[in-house]
Amino acid sequence: MNRRKLVAIAVTLILLALAVYFIFPFYWLVVGTTKDVGQLFQKSLLPGVPNRFAENVQKVFTYENGVFFKWLGNSILYATVGSIVGVVIASMAGFAFRRYDFFLKKPLFVLVLGFSMVPGYATTLPLFMMFRNLNLIDTRWAVLLPSFVNIFGVYMMVAYWNQITDEVFAAAEIDGANDFIIFLKVGFPNIIPGFITLVLLAFVGVWNNYFLPLVVLNSRARMPLILGITTITDPQGFPVYNLTLTASFFTILPLLIIFISLQRYFKPQLFIG
Amino acid sequence: MTSATKRKLISTLKAYLFLTPFLALFVFLVIYPIGLGAKLSLYGQRGARMWYVGFDNYSRIFRDTRFWEAFKIPAFLLIVQVPLMLLLATIVSLLYETRKRDGLVYRFLYYLPYCIPGIVAGIVWSYIFSDSMSPFRPLLDFLGYENMKILTRPSVPAILLIIILWEFTGYTAFVIYSSLISIPKEYSEAAQLDGAGFWQIAFKIKIPLLKDVLITLFIFNAIGAMQVFNEPWMLGGLVVLPNNYTPAMYIYTSAFSQGRFTYAAAMGMILACITFIFSLYVLRTATKQVLRHRS
Repeated sequence: MNRRKLVAIAVTLILLALAVYFIFPFYWLVVGTTKDVGQLFQKSLLPGVPNRFAENVQKVFTYENGVFFKWLGNSILYATVGSIVGVVIASMAGFAFRRYDFFLKKPLFVLVLGFSMVPGYATTLPLFMMFRNLNLIDTRWAVLLPSFVNIFGVYMMVAYWNQITDEVFAAAEIDGANDFIIFLKVGFPNIIPGFITLVLLAFVGVWNNYFLPLVVLNSRARMPLILGITTITDPQGFPVYNLTLTASFFTILPLLIIFISLQRYFKPQLFIG
Repeated sequence: MTSATKRKLISTLKAYLFLTPFLALFVFLVIYPIGLGAKLSLYGQRGARMWYVGFDNYSRIFRDTRFWEAFKIPAFLLIVQVPLMLLLATIVSLLYETRKRDGLVYRFLYYLPYCIPGIVAGIVWSYIFSDSMSPFRPLLDFLGYENMKILTRPSVPAILLIIILWEFTGYTAFVIYSSLISIPKEYSEAAQLDGAGFWQIAFKIKIPLLKDVLITLFIFNAIGAMQVFNEPWMLGGLVVLPNNYTPAMYIYTSAFSQGRFTYAAAMGMILACITFIFSLYVLRTATKQVLRHRS
């Protein structure tokens, strides 16, 4: 066998080994949903015999009078409304930075970007104090409002709007369109792919955000899935591993479906590059 | 007033009309809370009572060894996980390039963990490594290590390393790969004609051109390392970890378990400053890249 072929085989082996590492937890999670606690403690890599999947699903769905569906509904509400409102607002702000030359443009842009780097763990605490003064703690607004500010979206939107040439805007202006019509009818159709990408990224971001709801919510009825599933216990307060796993499975299932069906929109977006 | 100034005034008005929704929410939900946090950090607190103490909290934090101990994990991630991941991701992205046919499948599979929330990753991996459920347990027993526990406090950093590499390596490799394929083919073809091999081309030509992307990725991961919370938080369900295991955990528990809000606010400010210093490079480049000057 020649050297080139050996290298190709070695590369394949490395890639396969890494694939096992990246896939294994998914496999183990799915297998875990077919077991009760006793079967989980048997530490096998194979599905449970007898298969407890249907039983686990039924237990998760009926847990605390179906609170699971409230969590699911909350997650859908927070992620859908938060992502769309946030990106629409960001697209307007991005348009302003692209289209106009205005006073304080650069300082404003640097200020906005600068605050995008402030960690959530530093802002969430004062946000909690502010919401407490406004009686917004433990309301859905406390989770929704912060997701409307999508600073990364503003930055990306400026980049997307930059791709539209000045000629397009100039032509529309000569036709007598006002600025809002230009934004909506002339500009917007051109940035739709970018818009979808940002909405998807924001959707996943809100869906997966654990820390904010952890801080601002108390009632289980208002929790999103990601927080709700960590509160599953038996009546004595002990963890129920098989139910937590099954609920985790249903938390990531929508994400996987979205990712797989809309793959072409999931281009990695980075501040530069 | 010249007509140029007049035109600028009009476009300023229009620009701010489009900016209003964003700026209003930005001030209300970002600037004001940070200002409030900065103000609170200068107050002492007992229960609901608060009084001004100047920089007292900061000087106490400076002497609070528990706060600085919390940076052990971020430091470990910064020194071990981030460079290891960038190296691994760079190698993987170079391997992607050699695979024109099945590369797509690998890119897809490796990227998948990035969609999984840190909390779920923490749940699944902590179960995989828990001594009551781990599929590795029978293997260790078989090899004669019956008494060696898998999930112990000393093993948590290694487990965090495995989880975080699992979450972000595929994504990172994809980002690097995206800029790798934008490098003109002529560069490596010319080098190949001069007799350069795969690794020579990789190290002498491609990796230097990836410098900007690698620096940006390094900074974002360094910022992520400073803020790590979800994964150790979930591991804490199965192995006892101190409440100052990471800075974010210490801030959260100080505020919400112990009710020391103003002290936690001051720690938040320090964490924010550290993060801000890390991010300066990205800010500069990002501003330059997007705000082109137009006449």
